[in-house]
Amino acid sequence: MKLLVTGVSHKTAPVEVRECLAFPEPALPDALQLLKARPGVSEACILSTCNRVEITVTTDDPFDPQALVDDFLRESRMVAPASFEPYVYRHAGQSAIHHLFRVAASLDSMVVGEPQILGQLKNAYGVAKSQGAICGWLEGLLERAFTVAKRVRSETGIGQMAVSVSYAAVELARKIFGSLNHRTVMIAGAGKMSELAARHLRRSGATHVFVTNRTHERAIEMAKLFQGTPVEYNRFVDMLPEVDILIASSGAPHYIVHKEEMQRVISARRNKPMFLIDIAVPRNIEPSVNDLDNVFLYDIDDLQEVVNANIRERQKEAERAEEIVKQEVERMMARLKVQEVTPTIVSLQEELERIRVAEIEKVRRKYGPVTREQEEAWEMLTRGIMNKVAHGPISELRLQAGQPDGEPVIAAIRKVFRLQS
Amino acid sequence: MAEMSVIWLRVAAALYSVGLLHAILTLVRKREHLFRVSLTAVSIGAVLHGVSIVEEGLLMNRCPIANFYETSSMCAFLIITLFLLVYWRYKTESLGVFIFPLVFVMTMVSTMGNPVDASWSNPILRSAWLDVHITLVLLGFAALAFTAGASLLYLFQERELKRKKPRKLYYRLPPLGTLDELISRSMALGFVLMTLAVIAATTWAFIEHKTEWISQPAIAISFITWGCYLAMVFLRMTAGWRGRKAAIMVIVVVGLSAITWVAHARLGSWLTKQ
Repeated sequence: MKLLVTGVSHKTAPVEVRECLAFPEPALPDALQLLKARPGVSEACILSTCNRVEITVTTDDPFDPQALVDDFLRESRMVAPASFEPYVYRHAGQSAIHHLFRVAASLDSMVVGEPQILGQLKNAYGVAKSQGAICGWLEGLLERAFTVAKRVRSETGIGQMAVSVSYAAVELARKIFGSLNHRTVMIAGAGKMSELAARHLRRSGATHVFVTNRTHERAIEMAKLFQGTPVEYNRFVDMLPEVDILIASSGAPHYIVHKEEMQRVISARRNKPMFLIDIAVPRNIEPSVNDLDNVFLYDIDDLQEVVNANIRERQKEAERAEEIVKQEVERMMARLKVQEVTPTIVSLQEELERIRVAEIEKVRRKYGPVTREQEEAWEMLTRGIMNKVAHGPISELRLQAGQPDGEPVIAAIRKVFRLQS
Repeated sequence: MAEMSVIWLRVAAALYSVGLLHAILTLVRKREHLFRVSLTAVSIGAVLHGVSIVEEGLLMNRCPIANFYETSSMCAFLIITLFLLVYWRYKTESLGVFIFPLVFVMTMVSTMGNPVDASWSNPILRSAWLDVHITLVLLGFAALAFTAGASLLYLFQERELKRKKPRKLYYRLPPLGTLDELISRSMALGFVLMTLAVIAATTWAFIEHKTEWISQPAIAISFITWGCYLAMVFLRMTAGWRGRKAAIMVIVVVGLSAITWVAHARLGSWLTKQ
């Protein structure tokens, strides 16, 4: 059996190439049927996302999987292999397993650690299974890949750090307040980014949203989006003592929140911490506000800095994740090798059993009928000898299975016991 | 001291203990409990306390501020009277958490100017007071150490958040909110344990050593430590002292506790000589 992964990804191919090879979701079942119907293909799975198209096949030994997949692509995507050849990567055997594990663990993604790829892979697995395109070995491999992805996610922090500015704001809020339940948010000024951040905060448990805007109608409109309360623009500073998180993104050309005001706000709050997010340019909040105790002010550059630090941290975690993937591939290979020697072990046991039964028959013919006790004694004696003889070679087979130079030893055992290949 | 005035003072101390209970419940449960009840009890206590002082003064024919116990009693009486007046005018409920334990402990100490006959109780029961005291103090120290550790982590995390350039610590340390919660809880628990320890120790010393023990400097240090702890808990509860200020307070209390501990190691030998 041969395993081959053929694919293009954001790393190897521009979007013009990826879109030519992509399989729209409705076309996937037919494509799988077409691929599976090709002589030699035992199992197949197609993963098609906006960043990658990957075709994984297992074929019977005499067939060339690369030719099979190229033919399939030419027929189903109407593209000549020469046109995509420079962009394609191919992984066979152990390298294919390694690649699949990395993809599932989101180590090959554009944003390392993003969680969508696992869902997409599970989806591809589901479609392939429903079409009967995977049923056995490849199914086991993909399931293993999901387990590896889970392990990577739980043992490393690869997916934990926010890599977008609006998520970074939510994450910072969590670092300041712990839980966001029952927190109050105020948005000063409308804007896509503040809306997005408020939406994330709301989803993370913030209970109430105040909205203020120079144009009050716009505030009312936006408040409806979050089931929040519109606040008149000239009153919003008075409301600040009730607010835990302030998102400022108004178009005002000057500061709308000053240090002296914040000093009063924070003492009115009895020093309860406050998180101020200033995503306006020019800035809305006087920068020296950050010098006040229990006030945490982040402007757009600070948030970007956090995102950059998070990306660096993810890279570090990715190195640990690569280690885990490597271990898992080795474990998988060892398991496969053991599976490879299983037929040899079975035939060795069968051969010894055949000899044992034949020898007992010979003795019985020579000495005539025996009592039940004698029969049991023979049985015990011969079985004991057989097991003792088989023990050495079987352990050696298992031991050599995962070893790089185990092949000659396995061949020698087969030869010594005259086992048919 | 006249027999009746001692009884009034003891009843007043008992009534003040309801106030102490209020403070403890408020600290542990983080919500006001029993305030109405304790206010009534404390008010009656204050009246009886006043009666006790007047009786004492009349009997002795002088203002009863001649020794430590009398001064302590007078001081506690003035504090509680002032509190009741301020409360009547400004409804400052939260101040009770600070005042009630203080007044209770001061009054309790001042009732000890009149030793009781210890022969009524058996020695095992009497030394149990000391065992209880030591256990409570050790538990209180553990809670205090926990508070100090969490305060330190709070300082680090706060600095990371203020710097805005996340480093390793930022990712490893728990959120500020979680640490704050931990500090509040461990501090309140520690305070309750320490207060009970002070009560147990005072009772034991009172039974065993009559009145001389109060003049020991080690005793003064431990009362100062307890007072600082009380102030710290109160400032945190009402003014929400966090971060640097809270950490400095915790360090002061830890320092004082350490001094108290050392002082008490000597106290043991002094007491045995008695």
